[in-house]
Amino acid sequence: MLVRERRAVLVACLLTGITIAATVTSCGSGPTGTESPVLHIGAIPDQNPEKLNRLYSSLSDELSDQLTVPVQYVPVSNYPAAVSAFRTGSLDLVWFGGLTGVQARLQTPGAKVLAQRDIDAKFTSVFIANGASGLRPISNGDQLTNLKGRRLSFGSESSTSGRLMPQYFMSQNGVETADLAGGAPGFSGSHDATIAVVQSGAYEVGALNEQVWRSNVKDGRVDPNKVSVIWRTPTYVDYHWVARPDLDERFGNGFTKKVQSALLKISPTTPRGETILELFGAAQFIPAQNSDYDKIEAVGRQLGKIR
Amino acid sequence: MTALLELHQVSLDQRLQSTSLTIRADERVVLLGASGAGKTTLIQLCNGSLKPSKGSIQWRGQPFASLTRHQRRSIGTLWQDLRLVEELSVVQNINSGALGRHGLLWALRNLLGVLDKDACLTVMDQVHLEPSLLNRAVTQLSGGQRQRVALARLLRQRPELGLADEPLSALDPVIARDVLDTLLSFPGCLISLHRPDLIHRFERVLGLRNGALVLDAAPETISNSQLEWLYRRS
Amino acid sequence: MAVQTFLKPALPLLTLLPGLCLIPVVAILVRDGHGGGLPLLIQFAQGALQPSFDPNLLKNLWQGLQITLVIAILSWGISSGLGVILGFLGSRTLWRTVLGSAWPALLFRRLLSPFRAIHELIWGLLLLQIYGLNGWVAIAAIVIPYSALMARVIADQIDCHESPALPVLQATGGPAIAVLMTAVIPAVSSAIKNHIGHRLDCALRSALILGVFGLGGLGTDLMLSLQSLQFHDMWSGLWLLAIAMVVLDQILGSLQRKQRIGVVISVVLMLALVGSATLNLDLSWPSGTLGSVLDVLGDDHNAAAALFELNWVAVIGSTLLITLMASCIATAVPPLLLLLWPSPGSLRLQSLIWGALRLLPTPLSALLLLVMAKPSLPLAALALGLHHSGVMGRVLIKDIRETGFGSAQTLERGGATVRMSWLYGPLAEVSRSYLAYASYRCDVILRDTVVVGIVGSAGLGWQLIDALSSFHWWLVAWLVVAFIGLTLLGETITERWQQRLNCKAVVL
Repeated sequence: MLVRERRAVLVACLLTGITIAATVTSCGSGPTGTESPVLHIGAIPDQNPEKLNRLYSSLSDELSDQLTVPVQYVPVSNYPAAVSAFRTGSLDLVWFGGLTGVQARLQTPGAKVLAQRDIDAKFTSVFIANGASGLRPISNGDQLTNLKGRRLSFGSESSTSGRLMPQYFMSQNGVETADLAGGAPGFSGSHDATIAVVQSGAYEVGALNEQVWRSNVKDGRVDPNKVSVIWRTPTYVDYHWVARPDLDERFGNGFTKKVQSALLKISPTTPRGETILELFGAAQFIPAQNSDYDKIEAVGRQLGKIR
Repeated sequence: MTALLELHQVSLDQRLQSTSLTIRADERVVLLGASGAGKTTLIQLCNGSLKPSKGSIQWRGQPFASLTRHQRRSIGTLWQDLRLVEELSVVQNINSGALGRHGLLWALRNLLGVLDKDACLTVMDQVHLEPSLLNRAVTQLSGGQRQRVALARLLRQRPELGLADEPLSALDPVIARDVLDTLLSFPGCLISLHRPDLIHRFERVLGLRNGALVLDAAPETISNSQLEWLYRRS
Repeated sequence: MAVQTFLKPALPLLTLLPGLCLIPVVAILVRDGHGGGLPLLIQFAQGALQPSFDPNLLKNLWQGLQITLVIAILSWGISSGLGVILGFLGSRTLWRTVLGSAWPALLFRRLLSPFRAIHELIWGLLLLQIYGLNGWVAIAAIVIPYSALMARVIADQIDCHESPALPVLQATGGPAIAVLMTAVIPAVSSAIKNHIGHRLDCALRSALILGVFGLGGLGTDLMLSLQSLQFHDMWSGLWLLAIAMVVLDQILGSLQRKQRIGVVISVVLMLALVGSATLNLDLSWPSGTLGSVLDVLGDDHNAAAALFELNWVAVIGSTLLITLMASCIATAVPPLLLLLWPSPGSLRLQSLIWGALRLLPTPLSALLLLVMAKPSLPLAALALGLHHSGVMGRVLIKDIRETGFGSAQTLERGGATVRMSWLYGPLAEVSRSYLAYASYRCDVILRDTVVVGIVGSAGLGWQLIDALSSFHWWLVAWLVVAFIGLTLLGETITERWQQRLNCKAVVL
């Protein structure tokens, strides 16, 4: 009996050892091969995984064909993790939100904004309210003072359209987060969840990305009797592609430019291009530069999200 | 005769009052006294598991605190609750008595299998344990068998002074006789007993009453009334 | 005297007393309740019955599961090894035997508590700053707090199982290490083995949580499905996870009972796992520089300014409140259910319930509760408490199965009602070890307050997430210090509590 127990411990130790050794040897060799550098692309995820996988496998294929380098999609589902991964060089080209893109560029000197969608140049958020809250649509930002004392939910804490800009417009009109019910807003974690918590009545008001709101309305996932838009924010710039500063160094001179033109070249005339643009919810990608996001940086600093 | 263990004016709280005592080699001593008289305290002071609040204890002229672990090996105890390692087999328990004579590697090998089988069988024979029990887990043994394992472990330790705290309670007469014979085979021994009828097997009788040493004499010189007084209440 | 006995409830009652906390919690939930989320709940339930079978999704989930399993098993193996070593270093028995004094044990314990105080997710994000996206970052993020927690449990186990043979063997004059090996290791080995087995389940769940920060794995997919409320997709992942949990549990069980079969199954599983290692998981040796992090830290922002940014009293107060309520719920719910349903046959069903509660990640249960009631601290506590009651329930059922139902049968034959005989029988027998384990859970719950930001953004945990997302390193540092302080405080309190439990018969 005792010998048996000892054998079990021994076997357990052996197994762990074998797994460690085997995984290290089998997984370790792959990504480190330096002879042909891999372009790692990543994204702030705001889609469901099935869509995200279709989107990024198509995009990887497209970029790989156009740039003739291997392209690998690395899923990251946490905003600060994506920023840090970009800074440490684990990701080369990332689809960032407005705020996270600025954070990433500030931490990675020399990083460059390459492109945005046509819709990103004039992006908006909407404030939605539960019908039972008694909040009526407002025509002007200064009526946001109606939100004082209400339960309000943002989306993710690092989201530009789900938190930063709505909070900025509120504060412009004299509503601080401390004026909300409970002294602080809630954070539902995502745009879709914001709709769910407002529609259910847990929160009275929510703020989210208008693009997501529209697609939810279109898919019939919103009950118009329970929740409706009360205000649309003025426009601002949002999502964009950011590239690491060392791409030219690693992939050859002019590579950053090549990536940019590859992105801009994606058009709905090819089947793959059509899929990509449809999944991105855009007609095309347009060029963008760092200075387009100066306003976002200023807002980020004002609200303490950029230090 | 050389003095093995010397106690000078040793006290411990209310349990033992200023006691002086010398035990010499080749001296077999029995300790008598009613329950709560301080027998267990005295035994535990002698093996170092309790420290006196006053007084000093010396082993072969050396204070207890300065003994090396090899020197401490010379005092062996048969505890009333046996104190076997319940998770180990008979042979591993018996071998654990010899830890002091071996190194780390030996201790490891002892845990992995049967070690020093012959030496173990010899001591098992001495205490009348069947060899077939060698690999049995000690939890599967009867009370008497466990007592014999503890005794065999003590024999493996080969102490110069054997201490035992009521080793015969709850044993059948045959086992009790065997256990006592084995304990008396050590060069020196101090055994606490509830059995005044056995004092003739010892060379010296100590009597404790309310934490004080009140009797120290050869067994022939002790009268029945003295024994009765030792066990009388209040 | 009479008052004193009145104030000292018996142990089995102590497992139930925290249940009193459910009364205000439920009252507040009823007050705040609204049926608005019912359609969402129905969608969620439908998702369970009709998970998505999209082949692309399943392929992805399967790969995700492999990554999660590799991370879980590696981190489990490493943290078990480290935990045992550190556990011995933290045990008073060891130092008392070797040095004759126990102070280094206390030093080791206190030194380890900062590592326990920080959530896996935070460790992951901090290590990510230095090493970038790498499989070892995820593994280290689990290994660090797990080793420290396991070290504490094992150190307590060793001290609790102090063998009566220890002084005897010391008297034989053997080397201290040899004495410890003979007297202590056999005595604690079964307790250690039990605990290590239990931690695999926890490691799997932690690997899942870590999936949310981009090391792929099933957690990423689950998190994304949750964020986009795709319940059909999410349930495909949850079912897969449930199967993995059950299979791992069975393997561990058979490894302990019938060794041959267990060994064969686990070898096959490992080979399958490793063989299909075209995984999207970078396990090359990480390299990184601290310099890049110091750059980030070393800007001109003032540490003191960060310190005054928060209303610490309110933040710490709400954290403590959540932790306390969640701990009470997690501790009391399993024994309450046991007494509600006291029969050997129902144990299987009960362990199903606990399995389901462990399966649902805390952010998910928080969201589901939130769509049914207004946000409040008790709601956050309930979400957290229910998840951890899944863990406590597993411990309770396992303990009771091991102890057996003999005592309940005896009492029933004596004419006691079924409930009373279970209270006085099996529950009383396991209550000591159960309560001891509950005190370790408080630690974990405190760390886990990090994941319930969704509800009213209360507490230290949420502040930490927000500070991290702003890369406000000084505030992060202060918040980590606060977590460490609370953990040390908790440790001092629960250590006393455990001494009062006489720390006997702690199984897990």
